[in-house]
Amino acid sequence: MPRIRGKAKKVQMMTLEEAVKKYMHDGIQCAFSGFTGFNRNPMAFAWETARQGIKDIHVIDRHGSNCTWLLNAIGAIKIYETDWMGWGEMAGKLDINLERTYKAGKMILEDYSHGAMAMRFLAGAIGAPFIPYYAPLGSDLYNPDYDALGRAGLRDGKNPRIAKKKFIQIEDPFFGDGDVVMLPAARPELAIIHVAQVGDKGTAKWRGVGTIDKEISFACDKVVITAEEVVPEAEMRKNPEANQIPFFTVDAIVEVPWGAFPSGVPFYYDYDAPFMREMDKASRNEADLKKWLDEWVFGPKNWEDFVIKLGAKRLLDLRADSVTGYSTRMMRGKNPAPRMKMPLSVARSGF
Amino acid sequence: MAKTMEELMELIDNIPEEPAKPGEFILPELMGIAIAHEVLNDDIVFAGTGLPMVGIMAANMLNAPNATLIYESGICDGKTMHVPMSVSDQRAANMSSSLGGLVDTFGYFLQQGFVTLGFLGGAAIDQYGGVNVTSIGDYYSPTHRFTGSGGNSDIGTMAKRTAFIILQEKRRFLERNEYTTTPGWWCWDFKTKEWKPKKEVWKGTPFADCGPCAVVTNMAVYRFDEKGIMYLETYHPGVTVEKVLENCSFDLNVSMVKGETPRPTYRELFVMREFVDPELIFLPAKTEYPPQIKALIDG
Repeated sequence: MPRIRGKAKKVQMMTLEEAVKKYMHDGIQCAFSGFTGFNRNPMAFAWETARQGIKDIHVIDRHGSNCTWLLNAIGAIKIYETDWMGWGEMAGKLDINLERTYKAGKMILEDYSHGAMAMRFLAGAIGAPFIPYYAPLGSDLYNPDYDALGRAGLRDGKNPRIAKKKFIQIEDPFFGDGDVVMLPAARPELAIIHVAQVGDKGTAKWRGVGTIDKEISFACDKVVITAEEVVPEAEMRKNPEANQIPFFTVDAIVEVPWGAFPSGVPFYYDYDAPFMREMDKASRNEADLKKWLDEWVFGPKNWEDFVIKLGAKRLLDLRADSVTGYSTRMMRGKNPAPRMKMPLSVARSGF
Repeated sequence: MAKTMEELMELIDNIPEEPAKPGEFILPELMGIAIAHEVLNDDIVFAGTGLPMVGIMAANMLNAPNATLIYESGICDGKTMHVPMSVSDQRAANMSSSLGGLVDTFGYFLQQGFVTLGFLGGAAIDQYGGVNVTSIGDYYSPTHRFTGSGGNSDIGTMAKRTAFIILQEKRRFLERNEYTTTPGWWCWDFKTKEWKPKKEVWKGTPFADCGPCAVVTNMAVYRFDEKGIMYLETYHPGVTVEKVLENCSFDLNVSMVKGETPRPTYRELFVMREFVDPELIFLPAKTEYPPQIKALIDG
């Protein structure tokens, strides 16, 4: 939503513990960066959130990730407004924790689609209250009976972050191009964005896909950037076309190397599919899950201690190479990755 | 000593384009290649994670080297060397034309009408190609809760044509889904409780003629007639029309069946095994080549 500001934000650098303490609270509506469990999940932040016992979180996002997997594992998510409740694609598709909590009636799930959530965040980012989208007519996503927040009585206008309607279907009034669905903007309180580099004034960048992280940064009231490295702001200005997040959106910066593990940060490190498979396995049984949480979440003294526990071998395998941006040493399947110079499709198409 | 990937590349044209015999390939290979055959050289393809991605990668290395592959996290025309495990995998971004985000892929590419072929999975499908990836049983207290739409409903309704890959069982091939995530050629009207053609529901929009073109299962390949109703086109080797009918809950039209699904050729299997998934992430194991092919590869 448009938020008229009197003056520019002044970014603060802080520790992970301080950032969670200052910006997270029970009942917060927030969004995480990255893409599913594989790319730039702000996992260290979610991990510290779990450790500080924040609860009743309203996550509004385009899909699950390591962050939501963990928060669901401890039952910290109360409302989940998204479009894909999985988290690990090929390493553990369905979030078993979420399924368990949902079936027990302890959580509200609101379904949208991927494109619809992207458009909602785009609307939020540009300060528009809603956006038209050719969201699929005839889909139960837009069946008036399937409005979970409405059914729970939460669309009464009392919470300014919950739209009074899930959608409105209208006929295109300008060109007459059929029926179109108007979707409410997404405007959460807090964005948590994990990036490769951030300048000490707040300008941030990543390499690889952008997903909707720029839109999220503008759609939310407050933005916490967790980064692999904090560099002098002047360094970020040498190649400004590579930056995505302008400094004036950012409230806090946290330097947290390996802070996206077990997801990857292109050109820094790869995702850890075997670790994610272990998470998925642990979630299938409550005793195993408790053991996993005690060992990996509540056991380590801090995030650095967690990374040390991962061990040098794992970190060596995951380190990305500087040409492709991913690791070819990591064992993802049953055989090691072959050494390649050129994609076969390029060799065959001849460019 | 094992051959380098470049040496293996040089061999491709020597591997015969002759269908492999039963027992020389496994079902995921047959399905992956069947998907690849759907891709045309001038397609812009938008595919989901898993077998759809494997199939379109194979197409890009075989019959459709110029096809453009879009991945929803923001990747335009990725040229992969190593099979991605996610649509946001940096492996899928290799040598891409541009990288953006979801607003690019769903807005600029898909809603703008550039995408000619969608390739998606599904948990259940109806007779008109409508897909459920959301839930089974009562929506609010389901017996099974799946991941939900993701990009399925966007891509499946706005790509010019869409192919689905689904595990075939009687309970997954339905007259009507308990929850329709992605409507097919007919949409269920919530008010009147009856089917209406997509062309009517989407009348006036640019997408009224976009919809499902094929369904690939572990048993067969299906297409849609001019009324938008699914019919059996081919059954996989070792499957019969009777078995297909046993695993379908609606009254399936089998009168237009052409015969067996083409078996993958040795060349297609070579590309699938050596270039698409040599790491064995999707394929459960590497199947041995018959002696004459092995001799060509080792020779």
